[in-house]
Amino acid sequence: MNRRNRIVLACVYWSFVLYIFVPLILMIMMGFKNSKFIGFPIRSWTLDWYVRIFSDTEILYTFGFSMFIAISSTLISVIIGTWIAVLLEGRKFWGWSIIFSLMILPALVPGIISAIAFRIYARWLGIEPGMGAIIWSHAVHNVPFVTLVVMARLSTLPKSQIEAARDLGADPLMAFIRITLPYLVPAILGASVFCLLLSFDDFVRSFFLGGYEATLPVLIFAMLRSGMSPEINAIATVALVLTAAIGVWAERFTRRTNRGELS
Amino acid sequence: MSLVGKEESEKNAVAHSRNGRPFWGRFSSWKPYQTLLRFITASPRRQFIILAAFPILWLLTQHLGPMLQMARVSVLDSYPVAPGTPQYLTLDNYFRFFGDHIFWMPFFRTLTFAAIFTFCTLILTYPVAYFLARHVSRQNQMLMLLLLLIPFWVGEIVRTYAIMILLGNTGAINLALKWLGLIERPIPFMYTSFSMGLGIVYLTALYMLLPLYSSLEKLPKSYTEVAADLGAGAWTRFRRITLPLTIEGISSGCTLVFLISTGFYATPVLLGGPSTTVFAETIAGFFHYAGDEWPTGAAFAVIMFGAALIITGLFQKLMKSLRKGDAK
Repeated sequence: MNRRNRIVLACVYWSFVLYIFVPLILMIMMGFKNSKFIGFPIRSWTLDWYVRIFSDTEILYTFGFSMFIAISSTLISVIIGTWIAVLLEGRKFWGWSIIFSLMILPALVPGIISAIAFRIYARWLGIEPGMGAIIWSHAVHNVPFVTLVVMARLSTLPKSQIEAARDLGADPLMAFIRITLPYLVPAILGASVFCLLLSFDDFVRSFFLGGYEATLPVLIFAMLRSGMSPEINAIATVALVLTAAIGVWAERFTRRTNRGELS
Repeated sequence: MSLVGKEESEKNAVAHSRNGRPFWGRFSSWKPYQTLLRFITASPRRQFIILAAFPILWLLTQHLGPMLQMARVSVLDSYPVAPGTPQYLTLDNYFRFFGDHIFWMPFFRTLTFAAIFTFCTLILTYPVAYFLARHVSRQNQMLMLLLLLIPFWVGEIVRTYAIMILLGNTGAINLALKWLGLIERPIPFMYTSFSMGLGIVYLTALYMLLPLYSSLEKLPKSYTEVAADLGAGAWTRFRRITLPLTIEGISSGCTLVFLISTGFYATPVLLGGPSTTVFAETIAGFFHYAGDEWPTGAAFAVIMFGAALIITGLFQKLMKSLRKGDAK
């Protein structure tokens, strides 16, 4: 009975894996198809589409533009998210739960509503749609993720370390800079990679706050709406490889640091 | 575990201070630093205020601000206004929602679809999470979970596009069916509620899987073993022990997936058709124009957010009462 259950469940797991991977694999295959027409069957193969996108300055520019937005918004979210985490973790004060719910708010608002709210607010503040507005909206949206990750790490910092530092003559600020911050580094790095990916992949905020220059997801969306071009496969594949590589690297990195601590 | 970790990092701290003492020593006796320090730590109260001021300002202006501004615009008669013209407060934007079925139809469709898709995601991922948490060794658990994580780092648009290739008239499924001789003409999967559902479940599955996995993983194996020794069958064990004790994971997973799937814009646009217009598209429609329709769009966004919050709130209450009922 148990054995049969196990086999059935294993089948369910592997079919789920297929469901997750097959569409992406088909898309990657399509990028190597030697025909202008998207669809199966694939009769001959080519690298032309890759050659074409890597010699298209507009597409390369879009890659760079998206990456610049991702990096700048990540820097802002990481600094502010960490600050909020330091304020919230391990302290009790009046209004703690209000601050916590305010902090988590951008992560819970459904995508379209958050984009609309940012659009209206940007207009009110006088921020023109464009790069600055996108960076700002991504930064605000990603703060909760940083704060949650950093708070989790901060809660495991042994209090005795800070006390020891204070006993040895460190002032509170120095104890923070030299004990707390280094202890938080793995969490901060992990959170930044997460923010980078969130920002790089974000569509809805970039779409509603963008000006004439499109980020990568917005460009792919526009290409899809104006009719399928085989270049999309190649662009999407490059985006996929980039994000998956960053993700795998981060996962390995955080696992290594965690293991280093355990052993 | 934590003890060993502590020793390790204490060792590190010592090593650091040995290497770094000259710099940090000089730094901490540096005049500007000393002044700053004295200014900050004059009293615990001031220290707290300096720590808290900026985050509170940020949260109020950046996290709460956009939502409040959206609510304010939703009760204005026009926005943005030409300078010099008076603005009136009005609820007309909200009444407009009830006046026309092209507005409230997508609204109820969105909520129904989101509920159905959430349920499908739950049914689909529960066995997967159960298998990972119960039948796989610890070492492999992480690897097999990581395998599922990789595709989820890929963005919404790219994965939606992948679904389009899978389901299109010349897509993989139609080709396979034709090859098997089951069909002669391709089945139009695309631009239906089926393609949209498949896409949304594909995009949100992980947000369900992770909470389920963590709540299943916390559940001690001995509980079900004891029940088995006492003669409970597999189904009874699942219904009486596993399911009630993982309700927390189910509740948070469903809330997350529901909120996310009500907010999708690009996926319904690309995968859905005219008969599956969702409310996100209705709202977005008001923002594609110069701006005089913004108040209505804002009002609709407020309605949608309110409805989503009320539904998830009620759902969580229901789950809580279920859990309590079982504890008795």
